Amino acid sequence: MTIPLLDHADELFAALAEPNRRLLLEHLGAHGAATATALAAELPVTRQAVAQHLAVLESVELVSSARAGRERRYTVHVEPLTAAASWMNQVAARWDARLAAIKALAESPE
Amino acid sequence: MAEDRVERTVHIAAPAERVWDILTKPEHIGHWFGTGTPATVDLQPGGRFVFAGHGERYLARVVAVDPPRYLAYRWASAYPDVLADETNSTLVEFHVAADGAMTRLTVCESGFASLTIPAGRENFASHESHSRGWTEVMQGIVDYIDKGAS
Repeated sequence: MTIPLLDHADELFAALAEPNRRLLLEHLGAHGAATATALAAELPVTRQAVAQHLAVLESVELVSSARAGRERRYTVHVEPLTAAASWMNQVAARWDARLAAIKALAESPE
Repeated sequence: MAEDRVERTVHIAAPAERVWDILTKPEHIGHWFGTGTPATVDLQPGGRFVFAGHGERYLARVVAVDPPRYLAYRWASAYPDVLADETNSTLVEFHVAADGAMTRLTVCESGFASLTIPAGRENFASHESHSRGWTEVMQGIVDYIDKGAS
């Protein structure tokens, strides 16, 4: 039996590959929940583009939304990122250790 | 388009041929991969690399060999004792190139997003991450994706 390493991992990476979506995540992470209108005012993208990017982020559960008056407020969720980042960090750290060992071996007298 | 990959580079004060030997000779792999146990190496496309490390044994499959510049293999890091194939493994690529008086060695491991791991080994991603701050986590993933995209 196997389970996915991360839920929707390929969609998660695709969602993160777009620079404006990363900007949105960073902004929501730094300043808390916000509406698409407020985010569009802070970032160099139209409200329509912000709404589309938020829909992509919501589809991979990096953000969630709740109705607030006539608009929806979006909140960031760190869990998918911590799982991905932790795993990639561990992979990278292991390669750093291996490359350091290769360097030491190559530079030592034969 | 960014990919799901980890890329690392080191500069080495030795000729490319020496670096290649370290990468591919069984007695050397045994040292840099972890346990000091000599590895089995069949250095041709489709050939097997057998690594011992992290308390496990891994059966990697060679994808491409171009001495002393390029080596690629797939390894199933979540499946000890199982031969790597397209569905259970990541692709590891080594690039070896002269860089002035040094040799530049770059390793790229890719294909994590489509990987599945067996039940019971899913805590490959450690719990220490939960105590780390948002900014650090975000920066970490952005760094990796940016490296993959460059």
